[in-house]
Amino acid sequence: MSELGVGRPTKRRPGAAVGGLPVADPRPVLDGAGADAAVVGLRCTQCRYPVPQRRIPWCPVCYGSVAEARFATTGIAWSSTVVQIAVGGRKPPFALAYLDLDDGPRVLVHLAEPAVVPIGTRLRITGTDDGDLVAEVAA
Amino acid sequence: MTGVMLWGVGTSQYRLQPEKRVEELAWTAIAEAVADAGIQPWQIEAIVVGTVFGPPGVATRVQRGLGLPGVPMWTVENACASGTSAYHEAVEAVRRGRFGCVLVLGVDQMSTLFSGAIVPEATDPEGASSLPLPGLYALQAQRYMQEFGVTPEQLAAIAVKNKRNGLDNPRAQLRDKAPTIEEVLSSRMIAEPLTFLQCCPTTDGAGAVIVGRERNNPNDLRIEASAMVSGALWDHRSPDVWGYASVARAAEQAYEQAGRSPAEIDVLEVHDAFTIGEIITLEALGLAPRGKGAELAPSGHTARDGAQPVNPSGGLLSRGHPLGGTGTAQIAEIAWQLRGTAGARQVARHRVGLVETMGGGAAGMDGNACVVTILSVP
Repeated sequence: MSELGVGRPTKRRPGAAVGGLPVADPRPVLDGAGADAAVVGLRCTQCRYPVPQRRIPWCPVCYGSVAEARFATTGIAWSSTVVQIAVGGRKPPFALAYLDLDDGPRVLVHLAEPAVVPIGTRLRITGTDDGDLVAEVAA
Repeated sequence: MTGVMLWGVGTSQYRLQPEKRVEELAWTAIAEAVADAGIQPWQIEAIVVGTVFGPPGVATRVQRGLGLPGVPMWTVENACASGTSAYHEAVEAVRRGRFGCVLVLGVDQMSTLFSGAIVPEATDPEGASSLPLPGLYALQAQRYMQEFGVTPEQLAAIAVKNKRNGLDNPRAQLRDKAPTIEEVLSSRMIAEPLTFLQCCPTTDGAGAVIVGRERNNPNDLRIEASAMVSGALWDHRSPDVWGYASVARAAEQAYEQAGRSPAEIDVLEVHDAFTIGEIITLEALGLAPRGKGAELAPSGHTARDGAQPVNPSGGLLSRGHPLGGTGTAQIAEIAWQLRGTAGARQVARHRVGLVETMGGGAAGMDGNACVVTILSVP
């Protein structure tokens, strides 16, 4: 029997972050810079529900029509963690947080500093790193 | 009550076995389940397969070895709840009279895909941002610990309990030794606060379950309830930590179907892919009020000799977690417990058992799906 996997196709799926083929980017988008910076997404024209992604067919809460919206880059931390394993191209340690934007949805962000922050900490999205939203503790 | 009976169960070994073909894992489990049900293969009227990573076509490649040409067959994928989702569809099909005997197979071979943690899904908004599954559960744990004052030692107690139970499970992947609280906490950090020994291992395995109509067989178990829910939005409005609400929705339906309360459950197998998962799940199942689930393991309530043993098999933390292969293994353990044939793992009170599997990972949803089923000795 030949050594496993050598010289034969493997089962790794296309689309995986490692060893796969590129896919359309599903992440939330940061638009503009400085005071004009905003997370862009959609908001329901009826119930005002905010969504951090685009091209959904209707409001998933009330089925109303949705329109493009710009959300604040500031908000409060719902939770955070420091990941200590390599994930895709990310080398440990790196910190992730769920950030509830002031006038918008909950988004996943990378934290500039690899440390857990208390619940409710004010955060500000300052930019992106390889397409990921990056936030730091607001002054 | 569903009017549907569990006729038989079987599983493969749960361990790293990349040298085996994935069909071989399935055939081992199916052969045991068919023998356990006391039927001949040709009595199987339909096949439902639960698998996440397949590969595509695995159900037909398995079928080719069974001699069941042309039977209705379908494959379902609901992340970690794929095996129990397949089971739920089989129970529903029998309950509605579509078939009299259905084979359920849950299977996945992880070792040929991942060398460590599952690589996050690149088409998912959070997966694309490098959120690994232990990271998702770590965010849940951080929130829960800060909100309710739960300690790392209480988290670690889940791993100690389940890995100790797993020592007596000859089919579990991890059987070498049971760690202490200190050893759990001092193992390598994966995603704060979850250490290596609080994460289930990568595993290959298959479980098979045969469900059917009522028949006069003393080996059969009554399926009192089977409930499946898909995910709902989990967002800035949600009062609960991720995952809680999907389990609670499925549990509410299952208790209502069975006409039972949480206190009536004698033994449970629940989704403990990470230690925090068992705590949140037991609260959602009503075994403890919100914020008190972390006390169940340290107090001994969920120990094998406790009032309501949870994961006597060792759970995912010992058995390992071949995603599609997990739910059917959980059902097999509860079947053995209810029949009183679980050997060294046998719990004292075993008339009513519950299985819960929650699959998740799609961003912004409180789960991909959750299944809760309640079984009893007729």
